[in-house]
Amino acid sequence: MKITDLTSPEYTQVLSRAEKRIEEAILYALVSEQERNDEIEILSFPIAVMMVSTTNDPFLKRRYALAEAKRAYNLLKQENKDKITQIANTFNWKIKPAKSETADYTLYFTDYLRNTTGFQETKWKLVNRTMLDGEILLTRDETARLLAEEVRGHIERRLETKTGLELPEGIINRVERLQQLYQSRKGKMRLEEMPKEIVLDAFPPCIRQLYNTILSGRHISHVGRFALTSFLINSGMTVDNVVDLFRSLSDFNERMTRYQAEHIAGGRGSRTRYIPPKCDTLRTHGVCPGMDEICRRIRHPLAYYRRKLRIMKTATETPTAPRA
Amino acid sequence: MNKIETKAFIQEKFAEYYRLNSTSIDPPSSLENREFAFLLFKERMMLRHKGFKSAEDFRTLLKSVVPSDVYYSSAHYEKPEEEMEAKGWLGADLVFDIDADHISTPCSKQHDTWTCNNCGTTGLGIPPETCPTCKGQKFDDKSWPCEICLESAKRETMKLTDILTKDFGLSSQEMTLAFSGHRGYHVHVENQAVQTLDQVARKEIVDYMLGIGLEPRFHGLEESMGPSLEEAGWRGRIARGTYEFLLNTNVERLEDMGLKKSVVNSLINQRDKIMESWKGRGPWRMKGVGSESWKKIVEKAIENQSVRIDTVVTTDIHRLIRLTNTLNGKTGLKKIRVSASNIERFDPLKDAIAFKEGEISLVVSEAPEFRLGDQRFGPYKRMEVELPTAAAMFLLCKGAAQVREENPRV
Repeated sequence: MKITDLTSPEYTQVLSRAEKRIEEAILYALVSEQERNDEIEILSFPIAVMMVSTTNDPFLKRRYALAEAKRAYNLLKQENKDKITQIANTFNWKIKPAKSETADYTLYFTDYLRNTTGFQETKWKLVNRTMLDGEILLTRDETARLLAEEVRGHIERRLETKTGLELPEGIINRVERLQQLYQSRKGKMRLEEMPKEIVLDAFPPCIRQLYNTILSGRHISHVGRFALTSFLINSGMTVDNVVDLFRSLSDFNERMTRYQAEHIAGGRGSRTRYIPPKCDTLRTHGVCPGMDEICRRIRHPLAYYRRKLRIMKTATETPTAPRA
Repeated sequence: MNKIETKAFIQEKFAEYYRLNSTSIDPPSSLENREFAFLLFKERMMLRHKGFKSAEDFRTLLKSVVPSDVYYSSAHYEKPEEEMEAKGWLGADLVFDIDADHISTPCSKQHDTWTCNNCGTTGLGIPPETCPTCKGQKFDDKSWPCEICLESAKRETMKLTDILTKDFGLSSQEMTLAFSGHRGYHVHVENQAVQTLDQVARKEIVDYMLGIGLEPRFHGLEESMGPSLEEAGWRGRIARGTYEFLLNTNVERLEDMGLKKSVVNSLINQRDKIMESWKGRGPWRMKGVGSESWKKIVEKAIENQSVRIDTVVTTDIHRLIRLTNTLNGKTGLKKIRVSASNIERFDPLKDAIAFKEGEISLVVSEAPEFRLGDQRFGPYKRMEVELPTAAAMFLLCKGAAQVREENPRV
């Protein structure tokens, strides 16, 4: 079969289903469960993957993979224990039925870690699981959730592989239509812009403490330095100003500091701009001085900053209501 | 001898050690995929991105360069000699570092000294935030491995290997324990499945060891209920930590935790009953101690059971690690392997001695009392002494002494 064959009439239903999968992913971040015709359902998936892959849009790719994973989760939840084991085995998981009343499976910790580090709920943290001999107890539903995550990773990797295929016009049209749909949606999802000036009052407690420590000329750990520098750069401070901030340190080395700040800003080497570590990571390395009210609602220092800015803005814009 | 000559003397001694012992220095597994780094005596410069094809090539370079410290990457690379971005990361061993610096010890590090860079004021222990004399903030500090520090580090290492064995199911073949030759222990895990874990996954392992983010409700702590001693993972650890804490605690400590007087009284007066209760369902439903109090007690239990590992070392997937059987430039002792079954009896200040023969005459500027092998030395203050080579090298490497002129050159 050649790729151009796909535009022949007998494949129209398959193409439409593929397009539908992506459309649903864009609109609802979910792919609905089942098409009656198995053949169409199965064939439409690799075609949808190919279509998303040609967009070269990392956000769309991620969104599509996530939507397909959710579909997989909904299907897996309904499968019986043996079927789930079978599917897990195709991913080479070290999984076994559990000899426990409260759990259905045990899973080797590396397979577990690979598929849970993206989850935010505290129940997924390794330290909150019961582990014996490297094996973690899981319920059937939890296992389905982890498998869905494996599926997500699998699809993301497939979306990254270059096919090198020249798509026929009939398919390109569909892809273009989807891209337009996505662009019109994306505007609503975009994050608020950062203000031009740094607003010290909106700093999270960790960054404020690091900032004050530096100002008083005292030392901070490597992780702390990285967190502070990347935070400042990402909230709009120039490399020059960051370098000046570190000037008060007794072991200040301008060349080195500038190099590091530029590296974090993405001006050197790998050209990636670094963002500060998540709250969770800062906690691990002892940088978190303890949470305040806003901290409880966010997971990243930059999210704190955005949120606090928003609160400060509404506080100044809302006139105090006259009391009756 | 002046400082430069002393340094040359140390290096000559190191050269002698490597000439005689190079065959006992085995390069790590997957030699061809490792990066090597050598800290040079000259200008304390780091020679990095070295790669070797055979143990012989490595030993030849070691003998000709004679570095003060030898490191290799916990990571495996396609091309270890390339720049960082081009190395091609294949995976990394899982490494733990336990250093006395990260543990609060009963000796309070009174053997350590600091000197203010600005005014020269000196003091004992960990350097203060600001100098009491001139308010300066930069210090030179000298740290000494003491027996209390090393014993605490050993206890932590045993806790770590216990968790790695029981909870993580790692075998003794997959784990290598070693004394670093200075203030701590390294535990090195080589297991196919852990190799490719990323930094985030390793952070989860760190959090497991330190009990960070642990919520007792996931380990069976509920209203009038809690875990029992023999349970798996953190469940059992919480129970055992609580057991130990309640067995050894006193009124003062309990009050410091902010527990109510009536709760403190119940815990102290009914201690026997509490200990007895562990045979059954544990003390969790005893009268007079509510769930808020149990939460505070369990916090102490977690603190007691967690392991003080260095968080950065384990999460760094490009880390350089000291090579076993090479000399530690800070002490002249060697990094030495310890078997997990023998760690209780392991004596770091004896078993890690590299220089076993001869004596050296020194002028010691200042050193606290210390033990090496079966002998005690010091304290010294501006004294001329003749010491066994190991003790002399220790003081020389610490920068606390200089060689006297009349020593026969090696």
